[in-house]
Amino acid sequence: MFRPMLLTAAILALAAPAWAGESAPVRSERATMTLAAEMASVAPGQPFRIGLRQRLAPGWHTYWTNPGDAGTPPELALTLPEGATAGEIQWPAPHRIPFGPLVNYGYEGNTLLPLTVTPPAGLQPGQSFTIQAQGNWLICEQVCIPEEGSFTLTLPVEATARPDPAMAPLFQQAEAELPRPTPWQATAGFQGQQGALLLSGEDISPQSVKEAFFFPAEWGVLDHAGAQPLQVEAGALRIGLPRGAAELPAQLAGVVAITDGAGVRSAYTVSATPGPVPALPGAAGTSGLPLGQALLWAALGGLILNLMPCVFPILAMKALAIARLSGAARAEVRGHAASYTAGVVLSFLLLGGVLLALRLAGQSAGWGFQFTSPVFVALTGWVMLAVGLNLSGVFHFGGPVGAGGGLAGRGGHLGSFATGGLAVLVATPCTAPFMAAAIGAAMALPPAGTLAVFGAMGLGMAAPYALLALFPGLANRLPRPGLWMERLKQGLAFPMYGAALWLLWVLAQLTGPEGLAAALAGGLAIGFGAWALGSAQGARGRGRLLGRGGAAIALLLAAALLPRLHDAPAPTAAASAEAGSEPWSEAGVAAARAAGRPVFVNLTAAWCITCKVNERVALSTDAVRGAFAQRNVAYFTGDWTRGGEEIATLLRAHGREGVPLYLVYPAGGGAPQVLPQILTESIVLRALEAPATTAGTSPAGQATPG
Amino acid sequence: MPFTLRRRALLATAGALPFLPRPSWAVAPSIGAPAPAFSLPDQDGKTHALADFRGRTVVLEWTNHDCPFVRKHYSSGNMQRFQREAAERGIVWLSIASSPPGEQGHVTPEQARALTSEREAAPAAVLLDPRSQAARAYGATTTPHMYVIDAEGVLRYMGGIDSVPSNKVEDIARAAPLARDAMLAVAEGRPVAQAVTRNYGCAIKYAPAA
Repeated sequence: MFRPMLLTAAILALAAPAWAGESAPVRSERATMTLAAEMASVAPGQPFRIGLRQRLAPGWHTYWTNPGDAGTPPELALTLPEGATAGEIQWPAPHRIPFGPLVNYGYEGNTLLPLTVTPPAGLQPGQSFTIQAQGNWLICEQVCIPEEGSFTLTLPVEATARPDPAMAPLFQQAEAELPRPTPWQATAGFQGQQGALLLSGEDISPQSVKEAFFFPAEWGVLDHAGAQPLQVEAGALRIGLPRGAAELPAQLAGVVAITDGAGVRSAYTVSATPGPVPALPGAAGTSGLPLGQALLWAALGGLILNLMPCVFPILAMKALAIARLSGAARAEVRGHAASYTAGVVLSFLLLGGVLLALRLAGQSAGWGFQFTSPVFVALTGWVMLAVGLNLSGVFHFGGPVGAGGGLAGRGGHLGSFATGGLAVLVATPCTAPFMAAAIGAAMALPPAGTLAVFGAMGLGMAAPYALLALFPGLANRLPRPGLWMERLKQGLAFPMYGAALWLLWVLAQLTGPEGLAAALAGGLAIGFGAWALGSAQGARGRGRLLGRGGAAIALLLAAALLPRLHDAPAPTAAASAEAGSEPWSEAGVAAARAAGRPVFVNLTAAWCITCKVNERVALSTDAVRGAFAQRNVAYFTGDWTRGGEEIATLLRAHGREGVPLYLVYPAGGGAPQVLPQILTESIVLRALEAPATTAGTSPAGQATPG
Repeated sequence: MPFTLRRRALLATAGALPFLPRPSWAVAPSIGAPAPAFSLPDQDGKTHALADFRGRTVVLEWTNHDCPFVRKHYSSGNMQRFQREAAERGIVWLSIASSPPGEQGHVTPEQARALTSEREAAPAAVLLDPRSQAARAYGATTTPHMYVIDAEGVLRYMGGIDSVPSNKVEDIARAAPLARDAMLAVAEGRPVAQAVTRNYGCAIKYAPAA
């Protein structure tokens, strides 16, 4: 008998409008939502705040006005008494919520979305003011559930409004989380798919800004999941911005959330008209190097490139050519040196031009990009094989070596030119010291400057041989031709075979066994073609024709294998997963840093010899492994073997155009330290020991080439 | 000898071919550029590649049958009507399920067939992409996410199915049918008024990167 009474009482209690500052809650397993009011009573005509109070279960989130890659923000439709007005929801600064490769912008845990309501002036004390609201919100964790509910809030009208002691603190806290207008000067700009936001002001410093993120107000303008690399110096901060698919609006508006040295988060509304890409005013900008310095460094880098292991086979061929030159006429020597120099410089210019064109087209090509293509790698390998077979004597270019007039004529010059071009193509996986900064600066210069820097690099690389053009007499210092030359030539075939072998190894990383098989088959065809050509050169008449025909068929067979290579699937297990390291991702690094661990990022590629040597010599040693374990370092390896936009963005943010790049993020937070391109154990160990306060040093533009 | 040197020059020139941009470098596919290739099995086990449909307009619909936003369009019959209109015009409609096993939206071939028949849907095929490869290639972020590709294989539209990003059926009537407008424009050879629009829906559950 009591039961129905109790039930009715319960229903009545639930249905009763709330007379305090909060409506009856709308509850689900995932969220408790209420409509809260700042005031316990309202005064006529005096505005006060109400808000949608969200208490979300762990793991669940709702969305901001720009929800990011997926989702929709909550909506609240108010029904107010006659004469009352209400403003728009004021959104607190959101958080980044990653979900696989996507990123959403929204709220987790407890949040309040406030808005202002103005009751009519004609209300009399003693009356009541009722607000009804219909809300719907999307709440997501792994899956999304749309929820909805209605809220009723009834407040008494009094002569003066009384704050609600329970709710007022919530509103004060919400107010603190609302973005304030920015006190600093803001400039923003984009070029192609990349851009940046620059904030300048007195109180910005590496100590006061540890993290910063820009949340665009409009959907699609930026790539929501993209990295926003941060650079801070005294008086300015620069956030790199990746473009999205939507058109750029006339004004780039949004919210910048900054976490300071004490871990306190504050947010500012920012609005800027997009223009040219802004750079940090200080020396640590990504486009730091002035043109003159960039040119000098490019030349030095090119010179040192001659010593890099990639170029050695070509060096061998060139040494042979020089040896052949001893005893030749001065004009001859000049001519060959000039052809080689021209080949190298023009190839560098071509590479620079292609990089520029790709950048303009919006692709993220970096230095060494051609090695991400299996077809290129296979073709270069075959060329190396063909040249090796030539040196071994299987067939001949331009007449047998040692015969007196073997180098006469244009044929020899074209050969030197082609050698120069080949040297450049194969040199690209190695980035010499000085080169990386020079290339980084080159890509930030106008097109003429970019090409000038690349040209300077070519001159540097060709310098030793360009000297011959100036001082042809040097060639006479070399020993006279003889049998030793033949032996040397045959011996030098082996570095070429070695280079072909290395390229096959790179190919194996890119395409796995199927691609490798296709490349090997192509190599076989090339070998057959070389033999056929060699036979043709020794024969007459019919034999000659047969031989040449056989060589042509072999070439066609090899070319027919190219589409196989292009379509060959990449090996499923990620290529260069260094033992003990995780694959790099923005989210992974952020998580490790949030956990207070120091982070070591190694950006590498299978075709980058400098990277591989560094890993062997400096990163895989026991001492370094021990230091990683002891300091609980999170070690991430980013594999750029097949290219990729995220890693390219990170490279560019540090002024680099290619791998390797080594970043050490200190445990306490702050900007990462960039290590030199040639690593030693002691460099790594010293970097791990360095204290956390060297924020703001991104030495892309500094004078330490390493 | 001129022949041998020409061959060497030819090899060197051939080496320049791989410099052409590959889609894997791109941030996301772009309008006016060739649409990314894919090759996926359908609900009957037959494999389809984008190149198979050269000569016909293609519509890609990323789907997750449990997502409230997808259910909005299927429960109201809106999606099915859209699919039938495409079929009548000879446009190839491919529904793509990119969720990995264990995640919402994943379907086996049997489930895909059952869903198509019980919802009376009319796609040309339902493609199964449990490793999220096509989703990654297209930069697809939500279900639904719509793409329209013309007869030459060029991407002409990417974005939302319509202009009101809610999960309420009532909003379909008042929304501008952006994807349908784009599909008709491409099929009739007209320019697409809004080629990139905001797509809305549940986040696509991506398989971990291989």
